[in-house]
Amino acid sequence: MSQEVEVQGSASPGSRLERLQSVADSSLGYLSLEDMLGELLDRIRGALEADTAALLLLDEDRGVLVARAARGLEEEVRQGVQIPLARGFAGRIAAEGQPRIIDDLSTADVVNPILRQRGIRSMVGVPVHVEGRVIGVMHVGSLQRRDFVEEDVTLLQFAADRIALAIDNARLSEQRAVTEVMQRTLLPDALPVIPGLRFSAKYLPAGAGIRMGGDWYDVYPLADGRVTCVVGDVVGRGALAASVMAEIRAALRAYLHEGHEPAQAMELLNNLLVAMGRERCATVAMMQLDLETSEMLAVSAGHPPAVLVTPDGQAHLVEPRHGLLLGIKKDVRFYSHRFRFPVGSVLLLYTDGLIERRDESLDEGLERLAGAALDAARRDEDSFADRVYRALVGQAATDDDIALLAIEWLPLGPSLEMTLEAKPTVLAGLRRTLGRWLGGRGVDEDSTFDITLATSEAAGNSIEHAYGAREGRVSVNAEVDEAEIRVTVADHGRWRDPRPSGRGRGLMMMRGLVDSVEVDRGSGGTSVTLTKRRTGGR
Amino acid sequence: MTSFDVVDDALIARPSDDIDTANAAALEEELAASLQREPDHLILDLGDVRFIDSAGIGMLIRLGERLRQRRSRLVVVIPQSSPLVRIAEIVDLPAAVPVYPTVADAVAGSASQG
Repeated sequence: MSQEVEVQGSASPGSRLERLQSVADSSLGYLSLEDMLGELLDRIRGALEADTAALLLLDEDRGVLVARAARGLEEEVRQGVQIPLARGFAGRIAAEGQPRIIDDLSTADVVNPILRQRGIRSMVGVPVHVEGRVIGVMHVGSLQRRDFVEEDVTLLQFAADRIALAIDNARLSEQRAVTEVMQRTLLPDALPVIPGLRFSAKYLPAGAGIRMGGDWYDVYPLADGRVTCVVGDVVGRGALAASVMAEIRAALRAYLHEGHEPAQAMELLNNLLVAMGRERCATVAMMQLDLETSEMLAVSAGHPPAVLVTPDGQAHLVEPRHGLLLGIKKDVRFYSHRFRFPVGSVLLLYTDGLIERRDESLDEGLERLAGAALDAARRDEDSFADRVYRALVGQAATDDDIALLAIEWLPLGPSLEMTLEAKPTVLAGLRRTLGRWLGGRGVDEDSTFDITLATSEAAGNSIEHAYGAREGRVSVNAEVDEAEIRVTVADHGRWRDPRPSGRGRGLMMMRGLVDSVEVDRGSGGTSVTLTKRRTGGR
Repeated sequence: MTSFDVVDDALIARPSDDIDTANAAALEEELAASLQREPDHLILDLGDVRFIDSAGIGMLIRLGERLRQRRSRLVVVIPQSSPLVRIAEIVDLPAAVPVYPTVADAVAGSASQG
């Protein structure tokens, strides 16, 4: 066996450098990951004069090594060979994080049948590390019996380190893409437009946005005009936390949509999580604003207190009777806490990443938060959420996700301007807001009813006729002076002629309810101006 | 939300939300379907409804026609104090559908004509 002798004597200094260079070649960095892996395996096989080379990557969730790329052992990849951790040759390398050499496979413990079928006699393998974690194993094999030496291990480890870097980079960019898609899908892309309310929010995944976290926020307007705001935090990181978060968010919306009160929705959600056996707990703060009564209903499942800034410039912590975290045990009772939310107030919901610092207590964090919220309430640049975030986090990298949501209730001024999505479901909110505003301007109940209904008709006409199924916007402007109330409803479409039995009735109603209805069909859109005199209306 | 009650051979439906272009069609189907059970008169009590727009009025007229074709009957209750009285006047709702001020009147009225 002359080859065996040659192999054992191959470590001359000149060839060692050449071998190293073949693996270190920087042009490999320009290849795609697939091509780079194949090329590097070819080169390491050549450099070590081996017959096979293979790369297995660790699937952490399942605790197995999966063949990722191979040379001379291609069937290993095709068959999707999986090696359990701590078993066999590669399994032990991964579990111990140490290189391993087998001089004679026929007497060794090997899990993978392909190695034997292929007739491999001797092997050397090394762990593939990223930041101290084992992410896989790389090994080469020889059909002839040979004794791999320390220098072979060093060279193989060098190649493995290059591969680790390339794989880590590829994973990072892949995870970033996935995270971005998940965030776009899971977080509300646009906060609802509700006249008088201003929402602002921020979501920041930890550690430069690589790993998807379990924090979220949501705003859910109910058909009856109440608005529910939610901020929550699923314990843990990664895809599982994110998917549990998505389930919670959907389930909560469903319970609220079905008409459950916040505390009851929380109880149902808790039982659902326990029943599904997700083994993930979550903290949730839910606040439901009733615009008609200026009251907020708060329920908390183990979530840190919200911050309320009242118009008198005071910051208060909203601490509803704390319920247990969700998902721990069945049939936990949740209680709601009712508090005043007068016009001019701001409520700030957040997850603990916003205030948690290693070097301070929770109370200190809350104090800083209250200060930042008060300060933010006195300023006007950017959004409220931006201001709070900047004051508390700024440029510092965080090791926890952060979600924050601010709800500001702005005073309604002497004129009312609203821009609404052109869909029928906005009409109820329009009527309520207009009614509230007219009441605030001292308009009597009957006139308020008449002008509100006429406005709803005009806006309904715009939505139904001017846009049909297409998306669009309808703007509503209202003014009141001593003599009259004027409301203009404008769109960018063109009204079709009213059908005799359908919307013709709408026009008839408008004319019956207010003193004048002026329709202006311009080229840029249609506008309707409704005017009602304030005295002797009927 | 709509609650239902049966009195004699009439079904009483009580919607509570505003009736407008966003929900009129769904409510019409709900009400039409409710009459597939025994009672053959539908008394629609609008006492809790604070708002109805032209789409809602159109729905009442259509529903009245549908029930007539099935040889049943729709009557509407609008209490005197309701803001809906004014709308019913403007569009002359009673010309299309019988309107009564109370449920008792509606039961008596629909029985006498039934």
